[in-house]
Amino acid sequence: MPVLAESPPMVPPRTRSLVSTSGAEQAIKAFFGGNALVALLVLALITVFLFREGFGFFGQNLNNLRLYRSAGLEYVDFIRVEAEKHSELTRALNDLRLRQFQKMQIEGVAPEQANASLATFDEFATAFSDTSEPLNGLVSDLSEQASALKEQLFAQAEAGATAGAPPVERDAALAVLRAGTQQYDQAVSGVSTGVDQLLSTAPPLPEAKLQQTFDKWKQRARDYVAQLPAAGEKLRAWSPDTPVPWYRAISAFLFGHDWITASFWQDWYGIRPLLVGSIMVSLVALFFAVPLGVASAVYVSEIASRHEKRIIKPYIEFISAIPSVVLGFFGIAVVGTAVRAISELPMFSWVSFFPISERLNVFTAGLLLALMAVPTIFTLAEDALRNVPRGFKEASYALGANRLQTIARVLVPASLSGIVSAILLGLGRVIGETMVVLLCAGNRIDIPDFTQGLGAFFQPVHTMTGIIAQEMGEVVRGSIHYRALFMVGLVLFTITLLINYFAQKLVARYRMSIG
Amino acid sequence: MTSVRPHLRRSRIIERIAFWAFRIATYIVLAFATYIFLDIGIKGARTVFTTTAPFVNTTFLFDRPQTLYVFEHEGQKMTLGDTDFRAWKETHGEPAVDPTTVAYSAGGIWPCIVGTALLVVGSMVLALFVGISSAIYLSEYSRNGRFIKLVRIAILNLAGVPSIVFGLFGFGLFVIFFGWNVSLLAGWFTLGLMILPAIITASEESLRAVPQGLREGSLALGATKWQTIRKNVLPYALPGILTSSILGIARVAGETAPIMFTAAYAMRDEMPWQVSRASDFVFQGVMALPYHIYVVSSKIPQNEYTERVQYGAAFVFLALVMLIALTSIVLREKSRSRLSW
Amino acid sequence: MVSLLEMPQAVSKSPTRDAAQLPAQQNDTAMIEIDRVKFAYGTNTVLHDVTLNVPPKAVTAFIGPSGCGKTTLLRCINRMNDLVDGAAITQGAIRIQGTDINTPGLDVVELRRRVGMVFQKSNPFPKSIYDNIAYGLRIAGVTKRSLIDEAVEKSLRASALWDEVKDRLNVSGYGLSGGQQQRLCIARALAVEPEIILMDEPCSALDPIATAKVEELIHHLKQHYTIVIVTHNMQQAGRVSDNTAFFYLGRLIEFADTRKIFSNPSQKQTEDYITGRFG
Ligand SMILES: Nc1ncnc2c1ncn2[C@@H]1O[C@H](COP(=O)(O)OP(=O)(O)OP(=O)(O)O)[C@@H](O)[C@H]1O
Ligand SMILES: [Mg+2]
Repeated sequence: MPVLAESPPMVPPRTRSLVSTSGAEQAIKAFFGGNALVALLVLALITVFLFREGFGFFGQNLNNLRLYRSAGLEYVDFIRVEAEKHSELTRALNDLRLRQFQKMQIEGVAPEQANASLATFDEFATAFSDTSEPLNGLVSDLSEQASALKEQLFAQAEAGATAGAPPVERDAALAVLRAGTQQYDQAVSGVSTGVDQLLSTAPPLPEAKLQQTFDKWKQRARDYVAQLPAAGEKLRAWSPDTPVPWYRAISAFLFGHDWITASFWQDWYGIRPLLVGSIMVSLVALFFAVPLGVASAVYVSEIASRHEKRIIKPYIEFISAIPSVVLGFFGIAVVGTAVRAISELPMFSWVSFFPISERLNVFTAGLLLALMAVPTIFTLAEDALRNVPRGFKEASYALGANRLQTIARVLVPASLSGIVSAILLGLGRVIGETMVVLLCAGNRIDIPDFTQGLGAFFQPVHTMTGIIAQEMGEVVRGSIHYRALFMVGLVLFTITLLINYFAQKLVARYRMSIG
Repeated sequence: MTSVRPHLRRSRIIERIAFWAFRIATYIVLAFATYIFLDIGIKGARTVFTTTAPFVNTTFLFDRPQTLYVFEHEGQKMTLGDTDFRAWKETHGEPAVDPTTVAYSAGGIWPCIVGTALLVVGSMVLALFVGISSAIYLSEYSRNGRFIKLVRIAILNLAGVPSIVFGLFGFGLFVIFFGWNVSLLAGWFTLGLMILPAIITASEESLRAVPQGLREGSLALGATKWQTIRKNVLPYALPGILTSSILGIARVAGETAPIMFTAAYAMRDEMPWQVSRASDFVFQGVMALPYHIYVVSSKIPQNEYTERVQYGAAFVFLALVMLIALTSIVLREKSRSRLSW
Repeated sequence: MVSLLEMPQAVSKSPTRDAAQLPAQQNDTAMIEIDRVKFAYGTNTVLHDVTLNVPPKAVTAFIGPSGCGKTTLLRCINRMNDLVDGAAITQGAIRIQGTDINTPGLDVVELRRRVGMVFQKSNPFPKSIYDNIAYGLRIAGVTKRSLIDEAVEKSLRASALWDEVKDRLNVSGYGLSGGQQQRLCIARALAVEPEIILMDEPCSALDPIATAKVEELIHHLKQHYTIVIVTHNMQQAGRVSDNTAFFYLGRLIEFADTRKIFSNPSQKQTEDYITGRFG
């Protein structure tokens, strides 16, 4: 052993006094703190900016709605609604005819013969369609006037600040417009007599089932005629000066069922069709992703051999890295076509809404999104399952339960909140996904027709994310449309934040409960 | 024991069936994904690889996108890219019938590759610098007060905000409010911010995974805080930070929505370095692979002429992103086995 | 064989510096003065009015039932509790050679360099054995390889680990057994030559042979160092310490010469604990 005594002190003499603080340390801390502050500020800025740009929407939308009333567009739309109801009835007739025709085809009737036998029905349909002439004419006349007035009022409002704009003779213009009430009454009486007459001479349809539908239709037509005068009352009661309450700006956004932009008539910013689209796509995605994701989590954590596990786990994580735009492209190139091809198979002919007409629809997008959600759900659910204390499992085995019973009665219940939060985070991912829905959901801004039942899931929709991606590039900064898109973004932001928040709360509770 | 009681046998059968159901569910997922990889891999490989040396289609990889001209000449069908078509016209004159044009379908995707690389590098530098620094502050310096807890929750939640919302924000703030227009700079900031919460969260997690004992041991030896962090915390947290960063790269590279209206052009003839002044560099928009894929899959039809660029671009992009993701997964598996407390 | 007894004064103490630095209230008999200390984790007060003078160059043992605050008090001495959020001395003071260690502006780093610590749970760094020990020197600015080599050997010998690891100084400290790890941590603390060494149950993970080695080591070390040791092992306290402090529920019940405590405690509680009637 060397002589320790000979070694000199190793630690350099302490030159610093005990009482001192290191400036460098402070600087380093300040540097990191500064960075954290920047990160925080910028992230806060996002939120503030979203709100700032979004909230301006309500003021503008209120003006938009006020102008809609004061220029009489609302008035004209009362009549337009009636005219549209009429054309809807006409469409139903045409649909009826088509079905009858198809039926005959299936029964082997030659097309010419079928057409011939439906000739009286066609006459009837045309005549019915014609009864709307006076209404349609009225609408188009009044539309022009109202549009012109709106233009003038808008210009006046724009120039208002600079003054000197020619005063708009609004009262005169509105008086002309309101003469429409009289014309409407006349049109209504024309329509009712016309329809009544027609209904009494309606031809029968050969197919009993269709005849039933036709009878129902006749009832609808009668109801329609009966409620026409009510609209007249609305017209009389309408006043351009009734104030539009402020909350209409909000409710029109949250509950409005039209998203119509850059229209020559009236722009509507109702989020409902987009919200419904997003929700439907997410539902389809979760419908597939939840069972698949949870099942594969159970499989990998409890059933698979070590060898399988080593491959499957990274592979599923790997899937989560597939860029969404590639998935979207794959949807367009392969999945959409495949879905439609499958719907055309004879084995599915019993499904009432098959074959589908659009290859890009809710289902196609949802299917692809499911693939995006599965890795999220899988990873987190597997985590939750794996973290169930061994003791639980062993106790169950010790009681003679087999593996399935242990999984179903012990493991899954014990990790349930973890699994639910996994599903929530999967939902968050799906609802915020853009490219797949933009490419594959069909982009039709319309609430699907739920009368078709599940068929609604095979119709094209537009989504909140999709609409932002599609329209943001073309809007003018500060315009109502621009702000409306920010509002949509804000809704999306709020929804995902809520989902995340609850998911994390659940996880926290889960951690606590298993200690 | 001579026989298994019947209800035991039944439950065994049920168990077997259930396990098969789980197995099938798992393999459905794997099969679906594999089908995607194969479909894009096989059809894309036709564009990207060739049978003759150098075995890759250099035109496709290193050329810019061009419009494709399809026409008939002397009974032969001609498909020529823009440049070739012009050269052809020099010698042959205008074709008899006006050619059909298909946008983007000739040439290659070089500017998109370059643009994506630029976007990824810039935004990751930004996000990693700020993100790791913030994580160090949060995990090592900050006191665990209520405010910091709130900050942590906020950051965690922001990590789940959809990328399109970040795109919206980037568009409103950088492109319009700051007047940067569609530019690399706006893209960097948008993508960087989008990934920032994830980087902070993951880095902080890695830092916290380093046992407290190591910090205390170091401090007790008279190390300063920074010495402790630099020598005894960061080195052990680095593998974790690295894997999450690489995963972040994969995400940044793979996102389309945030750059659609902040940084990406559908078509641009100049390459990014062809700018008149150096300061213009950051204020130019670029082409980007994911946006290009979006454009070629939604703005041009699906047919024999477009398949080349559609599948080719999807293949190259998928291969790049998956390579990055694979690196991250492999790295993590490695570091997981190496470091365990 | 030269024993540790011949180790030189490890810490260079120039009289001028001491005089300048350590103000008037210097207490000749105490290295560490713990003066009416009250300590709380948030609102949970775990030390009540603890007053105790740790004499220099001697071994002082802290004993007491689990949870009575021994570790807490130990960690107060090198201000390790700064790392725990919300933990603070709410009343009283701790002075080392007369300087209040909680004086605002006091350099904690310097304090900790002078007050070494061995933790209850051994915590070697995931570095090689060599680097583990060199760590403290390197951060203190020692770069000369030969100096470090020397210090590594010296500390490893001092902690009775040298013979076991001298051929594998480059393997990870994690590769050692629990007892070896603990001795590595002791060696690591010795390498920077502190004046005070705080040991929190240094033998809790050791077998009897390793324990004996550590005890022997402590015995030698006290020639040069002031040592405070927490232990649950009564025999150990009896064997190694000069003075013993008995804590119960955050209060110092008795502090006296070890022989006295073990042979003739003045408090009933102490006697009960020592004889194993509770705790
Ligand atoms: N970080 C902490 N935060 C809050 N309370 C703590 C913390 N550490 C210890 N305590 C509490 O302080 C009290 C004293 O703990 P301490 O660790 O000092 O006990 P000890 O005497 O060292 O016990 P042991 O012999 O088991 O090590 C205990 O009641 C404990 O619950
Ligand atoms: Mg203790």
